[in-house]
Amino acid sequence: MKNSKLTAGLQRFSIFIVLLVMFVACSLLSPYFLTPNNLMNVARQLCVGILLAYAEMILIVSGFLDLSIGSVLALSGVLAVSTYKSTHVMVLALLVAFLVGIVCNMVNAVFVAQFDVPAFIATLGMQQVARGIALYYTGGANILQLGKFVQLGQGMVGPFPVPVLIVLLITVIVWYLFNHTRYGRSLYAIGGNRKAAEASGINTKKSIFISYAIVGVLAGLAGAIFMARNNSGIPNGAVGYEMTGLTAAIVGGTSFSGGVGTVMGTVAGAFIIGFLENIMNLIGVNSYIQSIIEGAIIVLAVAFDIRSKSRKQTKQIMAVKDEAPKA
Amino acid sequence: MKKWKVFSAAVLSAAMLAAPMTAMADDAYRVCFVARASADTFAAWLTNEMKKAADQYDDIELTCVSGEADDAEMAKQLEDCITKQYDYVIVQSNNNAAQAPYVKAIADAGIPVVTTNPTTHQADLDGETGDPEVDNAVMAGTGTVDADPVAQAAVGAKRAVEEVPENANVVVFRGPSGNYHAEKRREAWDTYFFDVRDDVNILYEDYANWNNDEAMALMETWVQGGTHIDAIISMNDNMAAGAIEAVRNNTDYIAEDGTPSFLAYGVDGTAQGCLLIREGLLTATALQDAGEIAALNMKYAEAVLNGEMDYTEVNDYVDAPEINAENVDEFLKIYIENGEISEADLD
Repeated sequence: MKNSKLTAGLQRFSIFIVLLVMFVACSLLSPYFLTPNNLMNVARQLCVGILLAYAEMILIVSGFLDLSIGSVLALSGVLAVSTYKSTHVMVLALLVAFLVGIVCNMVNAVFVAQFDVPAFIATLGMQQVARGIALYYTGGANILQLGKFVQLGQGMVGPFPVPVLIVLLITVIVWYLFNHTRYGRSLYAIGGNRKAAEASGINTKKSIFISYAIVGVLAGLAGAIFMARNNSGIPNGAVGYEMTGLTAAIVGGTSFSGGVGTVMGTVAGAFIIGFLENIMNLIGVNSYIQSIIEGAIIVLAVAFDIRSKSRKQTKQIMAVKDEAPKA
Repeated sequence: MKKWKVFSAAVLSAAMLAAPMTAMADDAYRVCFVARASADTFAAWLTNEMKKAADQYDDIELTCVSGEADDAEMAKQLEDCITKQYDYVIVQSNNNAAQAPYVKAIADAGIPVVTTNPTTHQADLDGETGDPEVDNAVMAGTGTVDADPVAQAAVGAKRAVEEVPENANVVVFRGPSGNYHAEKRREAWDTYFFDVRDDVNILYEDYANWNNDEAMALMETWVQGGTHIDAIISMNDNMAAGAIEAVRNNTDYIAEDGTPSFLAYGVDGTAQGCLLIREGLLTATALQDAGEIAALNMKYAEAVLNGEMDYTEVNDYVDAPEINAENVDEFLKIYIENGEISEADLD
């Protein structure tokens, strides 16, 4: 009994075990890995990726996804930067970023929820449109001299970087949404079986619209932080970042078939990738080799996680069979 | 549903009717510029300058398209140039070897074709022969207007020989692997700096693919290595800017009064590069003037189209003037005039 509880615990937290193993391995590989500065660096570098991972997790859990998030990030980021340069009002710049993110994602939601266009196609279209608008608006040139706007990405509150604090706050909000609201529970239900969810009285279209609106806010916030970190409004920035978000969510245990995913798992997924990239840079691995190693380790981590969970499910089924009254 | 279909058909018909009407607007020579990517800062600058330069000629009607850094898309755009029978085509390759057969096809179709930033060489089509004279020759049947990547990188490299301290630790940021300008700039650093200063240690070297954010992430990690980085050697200004941003708030690298304890070298002379030189954080860069490249391209296009010269005679390289703390203000004026930055940005 004690053993089975231990095994169940290990299986439940398998992704965190992977993270722990990686953490120990990294600290053995480089003496610089465990320094507070380096760990803070990793956290700072992961901020944009974690926000995108939350966005993708919200959608994947309910059976959708967003391929436009990198482009929407760039568009909302350059417009936020531009607003700040004209007004020097940070709140207004952030509002513009949120608004742009929401508008782009409402278009996605209309096609996905109203016209039943597959999310893959609808958001692929928006990926092109948003990037095009960002490039057209800036003429392809970076917006420079951001002034105090950079505080959003580079500032410190005591020993903590501003973007890390923002992401901590967002983590609490997303965790609460997922675990303590009807909306959060509806996402799992929709992702598990949309028709059954509708039959049980869940307004699936409303949930889809809310999800894409939240994704818009997260993309806008990520855009503002990304531009502030780079001290430039970069219209061609964050190309391929949708994959960063998707990878962190999937590595963190979010199931592509919907209905499964946790906030803490996504954070763990993001840190697994972050630690991996960090240690390879610290020990000077060529970036092309990094890509090979990263791909292999991601697949192995996910395979380990899936295998652990399938064993757990098999044991649960067998336990139910054992407990069932014999005819 | 029916209304939607009628509406869509009407929009499509209007678009199809409008397209040839625009094309047939006048009898000007139809020139096409195929840029490597609209999302590439320099390519975007070059495209804007091409448009401005073309506006100076009444007999040139310029169409700009982009290959979006995708070789398949580049191939499609270049094939379209033959289909649309342009009078003159200017190509900024994404990948010289991949685009070389399509550039040749344009020339074979009898359309004057000039490659620009970078030049397409005979070796891009036939492969390296080992004979530098053959390999470095401009591809037969084409012309070129370019900036010399070796000359550009040599500007910083020669300065660095004198400036970089003895036994210094340096980091190197490279452009995309296989990109002609990226490879040649790196070769120039070997020739003019590393071969001369064998006391210098390359602490880290990696591809940041011309990107600010990739260079920033690398530099943030590299500085954790504990060894002080004495010089940042970057194959473009964009990556240098990212690397500098990574240490902006690090007092081991930039003192409270803004004095850096490192040297940094870039290439391109972008607005961002110039602002960093003015700030004292970038030591030097070499200008790759998109305005000059565009102006030369249009000058030669007009001459070729009016029969004043053969397009295979077009073979010109723009200068790579050094930009440093002493002369940066005159280069910043260029960017203020073209609207990329404002006077307020200098405050």
